[in-house]
Amino acid sequence: MREVYIIGIGITTFTRLEYPLSEIAAYASMGALKDAGLTDVDYLVVANMGSARINSQSALASAVADTLSLTPAGAVRVENGPASGASAIKEGFMAVASGMHDTVLVAGAERMREVNSLEATDFVATLTHPMAEYIYGVTLPGHAAMFTRLYMEKYGVTERHLAMVGVKNQNNAMLNKDAHLHQPISLEGILDSPEAMTNNPWVAEPIRFFDCCPVSDGGAALILASKEVAEASGRPMIRISGIGQATDTLAVHEREEPTDLMAVRRAAEQAYAMAGIKPKDIDVAELHDAFTILEIVESEEVGFFEKGKGHIALEKGETEIGGKMPINPSGGLKGKGHPVGATGVAQVHEIVMQLRGDAGERQVKGAKNGLACNFGGFGNNVIVSTYTREG
Amino acid sequence: MEREIFGYKCQKCGTLHYPFRMVCKNCRANGYFEFDTVPLPHAGKLLTFTFIHNLPAEFEVARLGLGIVELENGLRVTGQIQIDDPKLGMDVVGAIEVVKRDAYDNRYGFVFRAA
Repeated sequence: MREVYIIGIGITTFTRLEYPLSEIAAYASMGALKDAGLTDVDYLVVANMGSARINSQSALASAVADTLSLTPAGAVRVENGPASGASAIKEGFMAVASGMHDTVLVAGAERMREVNSLEATDFVATLTHPMAEYIYGVTLPGHAAMFTRLYMEKYGVTERHLAMVGVKNQNNAMLNKDAHLHQPISLEGILDSPEAMTNNPWVAEPIRFFDCCPVSDGGAALILASKEVAEASGRPMIRISGIGQATDTLAVHEREEPTDLMAVRRAAEQAYAMAGIKPKDIDVAELHDAFTILEIVESEEVGFFEKGKGHIALEKGETEIGGKMPINPSGGLKGKGHPVGATGVAQVHEIVMQLRGDAGERQVKGAKNGLACNFGGFGNNVIVSTYTREG
Repeated sequence: MEREIFGYKCQKCGTLHYPFRMVCKNCRANGYFEFDTVPLPHAGKLLTFTFIHNLPAEFEVARLGLGIVELENGLRVTGQIQIDDPKLGMDVVGAIEVVKRDAYDNRYGFVFRAA
């Protein structure tokens, strides 16, 4: 396998965007091309979950290639639920590693706010089991809630721990100009004050409004290149050092141990083995905190903390930007936003910023190895990847 | 008409599954239709639950109870719950009722109540 480097990154603001989906993808892509100093690529991979359903547009990759006048380069859309972004990166990685292409544009984009919140919730819920879950009204917040209740019972995680994740990430987002939420929050405001329960109502008991990521529009893009092209570009050498992927049962109730996220654990093990590194070598991580409980559990399953102890590390401040294991300096899905198809790409956008030392006020000092966890379904399709700065 | 929800028992190794899958998760040795259908018991224990407040379109209630139940034969199922004050581990019993009305049909599934 050839080595694969990221030499360009681009992103849109994550918010409500009033321009077409293909342009959201293309805008981020133009940033990435400019950053890499390229005007052309061999191949495009476009990550998106819902265009055919919520934007009435299928075959999105063709539209993106044409909008950017990159025709006749090959282009493909990857739909893999909320893990679409990292799946597109993996597809691009394989294209370069195999020697088939030298430069690949990986773009992720979603325009969810074209529909109302009921339709957006229903659209995401279509990734659940059609007969055994979806018909009952199961939503992703519903899955997260049932999982949270089990985790509280077994490991002593409390509503306060969940709120602490939300406060940390939403306040990190204050340092990120592209983040969706620019509203500082405190435990006082969402948990302790007399108004807290009005500010922070139930979404699916026991999870509340500030435990959930917002519904966002947005796009992110990366340029993947062979070592030869990367060296010639003169850009910082950020290598994709490991990628692992694993699936789990579609129906959540079929999991043998309901508090394990085995697909996260297995994907992480593969990524570390491929990279030849260990969890303690990671300096900064972007985890898929669509719900606050997920940051805690993923931090355990990727090996940063012992199973059942993630909330203790959180209490001690270890996951803050200045802590021992900084998690979600970008704001995470919670603060930065979650345009579903863009998310996996945006996580790696942040990791590259951090490894280049370009993250400004939210910079993790001296970061050399980064990790991203893109969590699809309710843990039924997960990609964990690692990145290393060379030189 | 009496409605039933079925589990799928592997004809090779006897492992029970719900929902349907085409190959046994335990022995991977059987194929399509090589399962015996077994009616699911209706009694079980509530493993976890939630009340959802922001529902997808088509659910015209303010708050919907959902849970995962371990049935008497060890299989687990997801279903709706109609229980005022649910507790983890409580005994429940399920009925097969309309759980969703959409543009095409009534959808039937488990609705669990306190035993």
